[in-house]
Amino acid sequence: MELQKFTYDNRITRDFTVATIVWGVVGMLVGLLVALQIFIPEMNFSLEYTTFGRTRPVHTNAVIFAFVGNAIFTAVYYSMPRLLKTSMYSKLLGKIHFWGWQLIIVAAAVTLLAGYTSGKEYAELEWPLDIAITLIWVIFGINIFGTILQRRVSHIYVAIWFYIATWVTVAVLHIVNSIEIPYSLMKSYPVYAGIQDALVQWWYGHNAVAFFLTTPFLGLMYYFVPKAANRPIYSYKLSIVHFWSLIFIYIWAGPHHLLYSSLPDWLQALGTTFSIMLIAPSWGGMINGLLTLRGAWDKVRRDPVLKMFVVGITAYGMATFEGPMLSLKTVNAISHFTDWTVGHVHIGALGWNGMLTFGMLYWLVPRIYNTKLYSVKLANAHFWISTLAIIFYAVPLYIGGITQALMWKEFTPEGYLAYPNFLETVTQLIPMYATRAFGGFLYVVGMFMLVFNVVKTAKQGKLVAVEEVEAPALHAQSAVKTKSESWHGFLERKPIRFLIFATIAILIGGIFEIIPTYLINSNVPIISSVQPYTPLELQGRDIYVREGCYNCHSQMIRPFRSETERYGEYSKAGEFIYDHPFQFGSKRTGPDLAREGVKTGRLYKPNAWHYNHFIDPQKMNEGSIMPKYPWLAEKDINLKSTAPKIRAMKKLGVPYPDNYEHKANDDLLKQAEEIAQNLRESGIETESTKEIIALIAYMQRLGTDIMKPQVEEEEE
Amino acid sequence: MSTKEEKKHEQHQAKPEIDELTNDQLLEGHEFDGIRELDNQLPPWLKYLFYASIVFAASYLTLVFVFEDDRVIQAKEYQKEMAAYTEEEEAAEEEEQAAPVARTQEEIMASGEETFSKICSVCHGKFGEGLVGPNFTDEYWIHGGSREDMHEVIVNGVIEKGMISYKNLLSERQIQDVITYIKSLQGTNPPNQKEPQGEKYDPESEEETPS
Repeated sequence: MELQKFTYDNRITRDFTVATIVWGVVGMLVGLLVALQIFIPEMNFSLEYTTFGRTRPVHTNAVIFAFVGNAIFTAVYYSMPRLLKTSMYSKLLGKIHFWGWQLIIVAAAVTLLAGYTSGKEYAELEWPLDIAITLIWVIFGINIFGTILQRRVSHIYVAIWFYIATWVTVAVLHIVNSIEIPYSLMKSYPVYAGIQDALVQWWYGHNAVAFFLTTPFLGLMYYFVPKAANRPIYSYKLSIVHFWSLIFIYIWAGPHHLLYSSLPDWLQALGTTFSIMLIAPSWGGMINGLLTLRGAWDKVRRDPVLKMFVVGITAYGMATFEGPMLSLKTVNAISHFTDWTVGHVHIGALGWNGMLTFGMLYWLVPRIYNTKLYSVKLANAHFWISTLAIIFYAVPLYIGGITQALMWKEFTPEGYLAYPNFLETVTQLIPMYATRAFGGFLYVVGMFMLVFNVVKTAKQGKLVAVEEVEAPALHAQSAVKTKSESWHGFLERKPIRFLIFATIAILIGGIFEIIPTYLINSNVPIISSVQPYTPLELQGRDIYVREGCYNCHSQMIRPFRSETERYGEYSKAGEFIYDHPFQFGSKRTGPDLAREGVKTGRLYKPNAWHYNHFIDPQKMNEGSIMPKYPWLAEKDINLKSTAPKIRAMKKLGVPYPDNYEHKANDDLLKQAEEIAQNLRESGIETESTKEIIALIAYMQRLGTDIMKPQVEEEEE
Repeated sequence: MSTKEEKKHEQHQAKPEIDELTNDQLLEGHEFDGIRELDNQLPPWLKYLFYASIVFAASYLTLVFVFEDDRVIQAKEYQKEMAAYTEEEEAAEEEEQAAPVARTQEEIMASGEETFSKICSVCHGKFGEGLVGPNFTDEYWIHGGSREDMHEVIVNGVIEKGMISYKNLLSERQIQDVITYIKSLQGTNPPNQKEPQGEKYDPESEEETPS
């Protein structure tokens, strides 16, 4: 058999490794910052760019797409050529992929801090960046499939199945969730509104967890765990079963992020049931990871790499059990909108993604630098400090989340809310927040240990930029299934067919859930009194989105007595039909705002209160943890943007009158003047063109439409 | 393994390459960059867990789609919760009316103070010195200083000024208690008092109505 010579390019792996570490440090430091900001609002340094509403998306995007993203690419660019016995398809595409992705990350951080956000969690980046991501993702895809097609092994290994599923699903999710109509160079409105936008967003959001944080990391696990332990994979059969069941079922589970919201009940039921069915497929991955270590447990005791893998995989097992439990409506009624969710995701992020990445780096860096790890002791210390950090991080949030939920729900024997003042349920959590920040701090310390260890390792070795290898050429294979071959074995040597099957598997759930919400009217019952926002309110709403208010305030009152007593009538699907994007939020660090403007409501505040509160929340509520927004009273509303905004909204089907874009600013100024006049009566001198006026107008509009009388024909 | 031939045959058929540490069978031809795979079955408990979760899901969905009107599940749940509460509330109220609990002055003040510190102090200051809302410790009142006037303000609110209605947030007893507490703040002279607002009120003109 003739051996062919080819090379592995370790430079691209090294580049992605460096990016993983750099963005890991940045993302975790920003995480520490937001962990402090949540209980010390002054930590925004009185700058609008560094308020919690903007820094929190920077943290989430940085750790997901920059840290974990680059870790995925490190794993793919290292493992794929080796598993397929070939070079990567194109060095140039690899370079474009690398630099393109890093540029996107830098642009993301800058634009998010500058306030350009789509207002959809984990998909905050605006339309030019959405396009850039799509292009880079396509380049990545060409590079993966080019490599697969030029392989020298007949069958593709399970790690590559997961890479394939990752690539196609992330592409589908990103594109569908990012369909938007630009109204300026940097801003757009999503084509979906309200409940439909929420459904698409959480279909995306949940599956970003599934196909960006989970499947590629299962691929990573399937390569690096057996390599580091030098043990065979526990069960090939289990790989097949859990791969297909995982990718098929995962995609359905998105609606569990919207339980007890005004999402139709049938969708919620699918969210719950498919989440429960996810336990076994997820645990399949955990079992195949852990049981691969059978016969190597003595090594686990000594080797920090394997230790990290074990804790990472165990964290995965815990998080994938907890997730389905949180998808049960009875549990979700307690956990949702609290810090419990934040604790849950960090078990996954710090445990599964973090530990697996660290383990991979400690194994990989010495290999591409042809040396030994600089300090095994230090890596062991990193392991212990990270494990401790996870406990310090998560436990207070579990306690805090449950505490707050119970306080929200508690009634006095007389039947009144025991804690009618929301702030009381917040100040209760401050010690928990402080402990959590300490956990985060420990994790960052561990990260710096890794930086030191990796840099020292690289310095003592020398990069093996190009690895010369040889392997026999791949013989022509039978185009049809041979007799001795299993059905799946055949599929494994037909990667394009594999891709098509995987695509079908991941499309079914999305199609089944998303399309009916458009076609069947009963899913969003019409409320005739719900009208489009006035131009001033629309401007105010965009400021609300820009400042990332949704990071702390929900706009979704669930049908519980404890919520209707606190906030007013529970939210209805028909109320949100003009909300591009929806702003339900996923966390109540502050109170729900869905009925903020209802005059007879529990939360109503006069304009003057809002004005004072935006400028200095602590003056109105001693102990409030909301940051101050004095610049809102100084900056002018961007009147030039009104017409393009109205035009874009009309394109999306919002029924403004014909040619309204030309008159919109007249109405805007009139309404603004009324509010300014009202403020002057309360002794506040302000110009009517300030942003704060628009935001007040939006606050006073929230939740009010449903209280107005229905249009006549409905009443008769 | 009796004959040589049979042994050969078996070797070919059963691929008996065994992993030494676990005695599990390795799969022939499954080697990727040195990674081998074992021919193990799925752990039975995992399989049964999967089946159980499917049965659970199927039953749940059947319940939702067949036996319930899936458009009103949540609304019905809410109605049920509210109805149960109303019954409970009525029963409690009857009980209260049948035998009013006698309370000491200390208990009334403690209850009033609790409500005050939870709710009122946000706008009226920790000691009633006034913040956004007016000062409670001086003799000046915007909407009148009698128990009835204060009751009116608490129950109906003064919405233009940011005082919401506490009709559904506080019980009648809590309202009476907090009024008693606020009355007790008169003349306490805390630091950082807000300037007097409204008209001077003479408590002499009021006939005391103990709660």
